[in-house]
Amino acid sequence: MKFSVNWLREFVELPASVEQLAELLTMAGIEIETIESRGANFDQVIVAQIQQSKQHPNADRLTVCIVDDGSGRTRQIVCGAKNYKVGDKVPLALPGAELSGGLRIRESKLRGVDSEGMLCSAKELSIAEDAAGLLILSPEARIGAPITEIFPTDTIFDVEITPNRGDLLSHFGLAREIAALTRKRIVTASVPKAEALPAQSKVGTSVAISALRECPFYSARRIENVKVGPSPDWLRARIEAAGIRSINNVVDVSNYVMLELGQPTHAFDADKIRGGIHVRLAHDGEKFLALDGKTYPLTRRDLVIADQEGIVGIGGVMGGEESGVTETTRNVLLESAYFLPASIRRTARTLNLPSDASYRFERGVDPQMILPASQRTTELIRQVASGMPGDSIGVAGEFPPNPPKITLRYERCNELLGSPIESNTVDTILSNFGLQKNGDDGWRVPSYRRDLQGEVDLIEEVTRVYGIDKIPSADRSRFTPLSEADRIYDFETKLRRDLVALGLNEARTSSLIARDQINEANELIELRNPLSEDHIALRVSLIPGLLAALARNVRAGAERIALFEVGNIFSPPKGEERRSLGIALWGTMSPNWRSHQKRRIDFFDLKGVIESLRVPELKFRRGERRGLVLTAEILLVKRRIGFCGQLSNTEAAMLDANGPVLVAEIDLLEIAQARQRPRLFSGLERYPAIRRDIAMFVAPNVTHAEVLRVIDSANEPLLERVELFDLFTEKVGENAGQNRKSLAYSLTYRDKNRTLTNEEVSAVHARIRDRLQREVRAELRE
Amino acid sequence: MTHPLEQLRTDALRDIATAEDERLLEAVRVRFLGRSGAISEWSEKMKSLPKEEKPIVGKLLNEVRAAITAAIEARADEFRAARESAAVANIDISLPGTPHERGALHPLTQMLDRSIGIFRRMGFALADGPDVETEWHCFDALNTPPDHPARNEQDTFYLRDGRLLRAHTSTVQIRAMQAAAPPLRVIAPGAAYRRDEIDATHSAQFHQIEGLYVDEKVSVSDLKGTLEFFLRELLGADTAVRFRPHYFPFTEPSFEIDVKSKAMKGGEQWIEVCGCGMVHPAVFKAINAARSDSAYDPEKWTGFAFGLGMDRLAMILFDIPDIRLFAQNDLRFLRQFA
Repeated sequence: MKFSVNWLREFVELPASVEQLAELLTMAGIEIETIESRGANFDQVIVAQIQQSKQHPNADRLTVCIVDDGSGRTRQIVCGAKNYKVGDKVPLALPGAELSGGLRIRESKLRGVDSEGMLCSAKELSIAEDAAGLLILSPEARIGAPITEIFPTDTIFDVEITPNRGDLLSHFGLAREIAALTRKRIVTASVPKAEALPAQSKVGTSVAISALRECPFYSARRIENVKVGPSPDWLRARIEAAGIRSINNVVDVSNYVMLELGQPTHAFDADKIRGGIHVRLAHDGEKFLALDGKTYPLTRRDLVIADQEGIVGIGGVMGGEESGVTETTRNVLLESAYFLPASIRRTARTLNLPSDASYRFERGVDPQMILPASQRTTELIRQVASGMPGDSIGVAGEFPPNPPKITLRYERCNELLGSPIESNTVDTILSNFGLQKNGDDGWRVPSYRRDLQGEVDLIEEVTRVYGIDKIPSADRSRFTPLSEADRIYDFETKLRRDLVALGLNEARTSSLIARDQINEANELIELRNPLSEDHIALRVSLIPGLLAALARNVRAGAERIALFEVGNIFSPPKGEERRSLGIALWGTMSPNWRSHQKRRIDFFDLKGVIESLRVPELKFRRGERRGLVLTAEILLVKRRIGFCGQLSNTEAAMLDANGPVLVAEIDLLEIAQARQRPRLFSGLERYPAIRRDIAMFVAPNVTHAEVLRVIDSANEPLLERVELFDLFTEKVGENAGQNRKSLAYSLTYRDKNRTLTNEEVSAVHARIRDRLQREVRAELRE
Repeated sequence: MTHPLEQLRTDALRDIATAEDERLLEAVRVRFLGRSGAISEWSEKMKSLPKEEKPIVGKLLNEVRAAITAAIEARADEFRAARESAAVANIDISLPGTPHERGALHPLTQMLDRSIGIFRRMGFALADGPDVETEWHCFDALNTPPDHPARNEQDTFYLRDGRLLRAHTSTVQIRAMQAAAPPLRVIAPGAAYRRDEIDATHSAQFHQIEGLYVDEKVSVSDLKGTLEFFLRELLGADTAVRFRPHYFPFTEPSFEIDVKSKAMKGGEQWIEVCGCGMVHPAVFKAINAARSDSAYDPEKWTGFAFGLGMDRLAMILFDIPDIRLFAQNDLRFLRQFA
């Protein structure tokens, strides 16, 4: 809410500077979002009256005005606005004036016509945001008077009021808080006293409530013979400073009192109300045309204000188009009531119709302010729009009860704060907030502090005023064993660092995915209320997010992209969360001055990354997967824990990626469990190994796995390790119509207990060679 | 008169010293130590010497042989060293080192790791909870019943089955207390979601570290000590920390924490980094009801809770102007944090 410092000052003595006031409020938990200077701090701007207006001879959009500046002579001013008529009083910036934004006014010629100053809009004078036309002043403004007489300089605070403090949503309310914090006296002159209130008439009046839970108390006051018209400048300046547009004098007064005392009131055109006011719940399917010109469908959960023919307002939310106060209104019916916060909140949210009134009713208004605010509004209407208020006010229902008493234990306060505070200090602080000590430890809470519901709430009030900076800082420790979440975090941290060491970069993509990332084959966990097409469902895989990041990097000109992500995925249909590892690779291994190899990143680069995670017993098996041209299932023992593969060209082309795009996704907890077993030391070899190579041609369909199986099936106890070190394919045959594959392996032989001889190794090696010749028809090369 | 062997030694040492390369040194070696070299000749001569001279000349001969051998070794070492130096003399050490591809951890991960490390040193264990939550965990149990003005359903993403994406990580407070009786000292890093218009400082998904400490006689004083320590460890010992009263439904009293630190660009301004407060007794009561016991008796146990915005802290510490950079994963961005 926006607060005028000038207005606050009418209620309480403020700290010396605006900065001190801001600091005071901030440290009391009332956050100032912006501080803004307002008002015409301009020496050379005065009130002038337009005496003549004629078309500019050389410009269609300009007029030439003759104005009276109060000095006894007239001035000729060229003007671009259209919203005035002859006789209007407007602000005139004289030559030499400097307006907001540093605009300096001079005598000049505009399209060949002399102009001795400038007529100003509200925005040019920093009075309001309205830049649409000239600021039309009220007829009472004195010609020649400095504009600062009408719009004194002011500071506007935009304050974030937390939802528990509805009592601060008015100038009086915030001033009352400032008074409590600074131990000053609050000026209550503008709050009508009990004896000034009109008599309440319950019987024979025109108000009835049939929804007492949603509206415990309602009042209506009739004011006759009002003259609806523009508001005087002071009224308009006040409400516009707080960000509310001026409508007419009656509506503006209602808003003014809401800003002043916190109680929203509503003015009906009394002649449009047929019969009495009936506060009731709407019927299902009932429709209502509101002040904003829109029609709202209502249900029996919505509270409405009705007359004998139909709805005239949604209680506490918005009045009706047909029953509103307009220029032709003569008699006003002024509503002031208490509405159940929960009910107002539900209706305002359901209809998506938040208003200044609903904002306050939702947070709970002060029941003790309902009638004083009505009286204050009535007095002000009489002042600015004349009119004759009725002697009595029609009321129905009862005020909601005052908040219950609260017990505060001083020792509990000290314990919770961790610092002893004198009980006198506590008492003073609470008394300043308007609480009354009532016997032993009970505190009576004022009607406007419905947020104070328990002991801790009082302790908070004490803390705010006492100052948290006076509470010492303590440290406490307690031995804490590792949790399961700690173990997973430690595992993931190590995994991330391993992948970074392998040259991969960590990505963190959103758990929410865009419509265009959705593969229609997948089941979806959709949001019911997405805000944009970019976030419509929970991800079921890390791959779409990684591919989007990959595409972004391709388009940004990256040559080599290696990304991984560790994150949550959500399994349909229930959305169970699982930790997952995703990898995406693409691009070229560039040559550098140490290595001239230049090649595309391919499937084996991806497989190498996965193998280097050192998961024991990991296996790869050919599989099928939508969108992939080449797929390998990743198996742990016999369980499938993930996949890796290469995107089809169509899929890759959508990412603007030429060449293979590789992706993998693996269940993280499976890896974590497989790696959990502690490693055991297996001793150092004491005897030397002997290495022998085998190079061979085989048919193209003979796989590496098959070769390994054959070697393995020899069951040679001396064979320690087999490593592939070369592979190529060449064309053979008369017309080179056939392919053959050359594979070269290095075999390591060792005995744990002695040094092997060349002869022994040769014999074993020969047996393995024979076996390869026999079983895979290997053509051995020497 | 000097013995001829003395002269031989003098000649040999001179020739060794003046040998200009390894080939010439080898010639010197052959001349003196070779099979038919001078020393061998003297060995032959020894046989014909009178018996009484043999020990004297023999001793001298050994000395001379040792001296020449040592001198040749030393000279050969010099040549080897010179040859080695010559071999590397022209290496341009300004050439770049062999490139090694090494990736980078995401800056948010780095921020989380640092923060978690500090809290662990203070005795906090990790806890976690799901991103998809019930309304009860996200609102009701946190003292925010359906008609509460702070219940921000408009700003919360819902699934079709009525569950929601948690709007804050405070849900983990509830999960942790449901799972274990006090005392409790946990932190929970995790994602939270808000249905905000996305701009440079707002993102649909953001990252928090939630903290909860429940024990006997935990006070505002402990809350202050814990978070001041954390923030000074993270941002530097000279960081100014300010607690400002605020409102959250699930803590009372509640605070926001502002910091000023030289480690941050524009460090002259207070920047809000954390919301915190003493666990509201209504939260304990909701937990007891859900647990069907009275493990969290608000008269016996008190606690504090806090939520730290990791995106914001990372933006401050790394001087990142736009929160959207975190989710874009542009390598030109990520690589800067390698």
